[in-house]
Amino acid sequence: MKVLVINAGSSSLKYQLYDMRDESVLASGRVERIGMDSSIVTHEPVDKPEVRNVSEILDHVTAVKRVVDMLTHPEYGAISHLNEIEAVGHRVVHGGEVFSSSVLVTQEVKLEIRRLFDLAPLHNPAHMMGISAVESNLPDVPQAVVFDTAFHQTMPNTSYLYPIPTVLYRRHKIRRYGFHGTSHSYVSAQAAEYLKKPLESIKMITCHIGNGASCAAILNGKSFDTSMGMTPLEGLMMGTRSGDIDPAIVPFVMNKEELTLNEVNSMLNKHSGMLAISGISSDMREVTEAMLDGDKNAKLAFDMYAYRVKKYIGAYAAAMNGVDTIVFTAGVGENSVALRKAICEGISFLGIDLDEERNAERRKDAREITTDSSRVKVLVVPTNEELLIARDTYNLVKQAKTV
Amino acid sequence: MHIKTVGVVGVGTMGQGIAEMLASKGLDVIIIERSDERLAYGKQMIEVSLDKQIEKWALTKSEKKLIMNRIEPTTSYEKLAGCELVIETITEDLELKKAVFEEIDNICGPEVILASNTSTLSLTELASVTKHPERVIGMHFIYPVFKIDLVEIVRGLKTSEETFVRTKHFVEEIINKKGVMVFESPGFVTTRLICLFINEALHVLEEGVASAEDIDNAMRIGYSFQHGPFEMCDRFGLDSVLAALDRMFREYGELKYRPSIVLKKMVRAGHLGAKSGVGFFKYDKDGDRI
Repeated sequence: MKVLVINAGSSSLKYQLYDMRDESVLASGRVERIGMDSSIVTHEPVDKPEVRNVSEILDHVTAVKRVVDMLTHPEYGAISHLNEIEAVGHRVVHGGEVFSSSVLVTQEVKLEIRRLFDLAPLHNPAHMMGISAVESNLPDVPQAVVFDTAFHQTMPNTSYLYPIPTVLYRRHKIRRYGFHGTSHSYVSAQAAEYLKKPLESIKMITCHIGNGASCAAILNGKSFDTSMGMTPLEGLMMGTRSGDIDPAIVPFVMNKEELTLNEVNSMLNKHSGMLAISGISSDMREVTEAMLDGDKNAKLAFDMYAYRVKKYIGAYAAAMNGVDTIVFTAGVGENSVALRKAICEGISFLGIDLDEERNAERRKDAREITTDSSRVKVLVVPTNEELLIARDTYNLVKQAKTV
Repeated sequence: MHIKTVGVVGVGTMGQGIAEMLASKGLDVIIIERSDERLAYGKQMIEVSLDKQIEKWALTKSEKKLIMNRIEPTTSYEKLAGCELVIETITEDLELKKAVFEEIDNICGPEVILASNTSTLSLTELASVTKHPERVIGMHFIYPVFKIDLVEIVRGLKTSEETFVRTKHFVEEIINKKGVMVFESPGFVTTRLICLFINEALHVLEEGVASAEDIDNAMRIGYSFQHGPFEMCDRFGLDSVLAALDRMFREYGELKYRPSIVLKKMVRAGHLGAKSGVGFFKYDKDGDRI
C-alpha cells in the first residue's frame, strides 16, 4: 500500500509518499507561498533530481492537485496512476481531549477538529484545509489524522491541570495538552527496540529539542508528564520562545511598556529564548560557535538552555521515582554534541556516565552515548514523525478494510 | 473574485497605515503617489512604523522584510489594472478625489471594487464620475489602522449589494476587522461623534473651565479613552479635524458643528498636531509625546 503523508500549514504544505511494504520513501516535497501568484512547488523524487516549479496556487485544493500531478508525472513522478495512493495521513497539531490516538477522517472527526480551532487558531484551520483539499482531489481515498497532542492524553490530572479556578477548565478547556507527541511516541518506541526491552519496563525521559523543545516523562510506556502545556510556549527555553516564566511578568510588562496582547504574545514567542539572551541567533549552531569564540552572551544563552533541560530531567526523574533511559532527538538533540554533553555532565549523580567519544560521533541511526557501565542509558534517536503518521494511517486503513 | 492585490492611492498618514496593515495581512499592495518624493517619504514612514513595532516586539526583522517586499511603490496608475480592490486615501478634497475615481474607473475592470477612505465626503458624488457606480463603496479606516479593528463600510446610493457583501467579507475574513454598515451621511458614525466630542472639548478650553492636560486626563482616565480629546485631535491632525467639522457644518447647517475659533487659529499657525511636532501638546519626530 502507498500512503501519502501531508502536513498542511496556512500557506505551505509538505508531503511525503511512502511505500508501506518496506516503509521506503518514494518522493517528498513541499508547496510554499500558497495564495500567491508565485507559489513554489519543490518535488524531490528519491532516485531522480529535484524539480522546482513556480506558478499561481491560490488555495490548498490547487496545491494538492499540483502535488498529485507531480507524483504521477511521467518524467519525475513516483507512481504511474493516482489510484496507487491508497491512503492519506495528515498531521494535526491539536486533538484536544477528544483524540487520544490517530483516527480515520469522518464527518464527526472533521467537526471535532473544527471545534478545536479556538485552541490552535494558527494550525488546525490550515490542517482542515488540507483535509478538504485531499477530499476534493482524491474523493475515494481514506484519510487519517495523527495528532501532536494524542500521545500525552494518558497524563494523569495531577500532570495536566493548572492550579487556577477550575471553572476555566470546564468553560474553556484550559489545561495542559503537550505537543511533539508523535515524536515522543516514535522515539520512545525506537529506544525500547534498541535496548531490546519492553517499553513498559523502562522509566524514560525523551527530550525533543529542535526549534521548539519539550521533554516527556514516559512511565509504563505512556506519557506521564510533558513540559509543553496548553500552548507550545510552556516548558523549556527554546530558540525564540521563553518557556516557563512567572506569569505575573505578562501583565507587569504590558503595563510598563504599554504593550497590547498581540505584542506581548509576539515578544514571548518570537523575541525570547536563546535569541533574546544571546542577542545573536535562535540557532543552536550559531550560538555554540559564538560561545566558542568567547562571546559572553552566547555562553549565557547556552548555559541557561542546558540548565533548563537539566531541571526538567531532574523533575521527571523525581516524578517517576527514577529514570533508566534518557533520549535526545530532533534537530538540536540529534546534532548538538556540546549541548548533550553540557546536560549530561551536570547530572552524573543520577547514574549517567557519558562516553565523550560516543557522544561526539555523528551518525544517522539510533545509538548509545553513555559508557557500557552507565546505570542510566542515554540514547540519541533520530525522530521521524512522517513515518509514524504513515504507519498509523496504514494500520487504520488496513483495519477498516478487514472489518 | 479572490482579493490578493490591493491598490492604495495616496500615501499620507492613512494611506501608510492602510498599506502597512494590508501587507502585514499577507496581501500584495501597490502604493501610488503624485511624485517620487512623496512616494519615497510614504514608504519610509511605513518602515519607521514597522521599526517601532519591532521595538515593541510585535514583529521580527524578517517579518518586516517580508511585509516591505509585498509593497510596490509606483507613480503610474496603470499598475492598478492588476488589483482586485483599490482604496483611495488622498486628501479630503472632493474635486481631487473625483479626478482619481475617474482615472481608476477607466483602468480597472468593472468587477474591481473602488473604495474611498473618505470620512465626510459623499460616496454617491464620487461614484457619479464613474461608469460603474455600483462598485464604488466607502471603507473608512480609523487611525492607527493596524491597531483599531474597525472599518465603517459606507454605502452610497448606487452601491450594489454584491459590492457591499464582498467588501464586508474582505474586511471581516481577510483583514480581520469588524465591519459596520453605514449609509452615506456626512461624517458617518465615527467622525461625526468624535469631532463633536473634540469641538466641545475646545469650547470647554476656550471658556477657561480646565486646562488641555486636565481635560484630557479627565476623559482618558474617567471614561477609559486611550487618549483624551486634545491628544486625539493632535494625532488625527488639527487640519483634518477642522476640515471634517467645516464639511459637516456646511452639510447639516447646524451650529453644533461650527469649528472652534481656537482650532482655526492653530491650523493657520501651522500647529497641526503630531505630524508637525506641535498641536495642543509637543511631539518628537517619531510622533511620541515629549
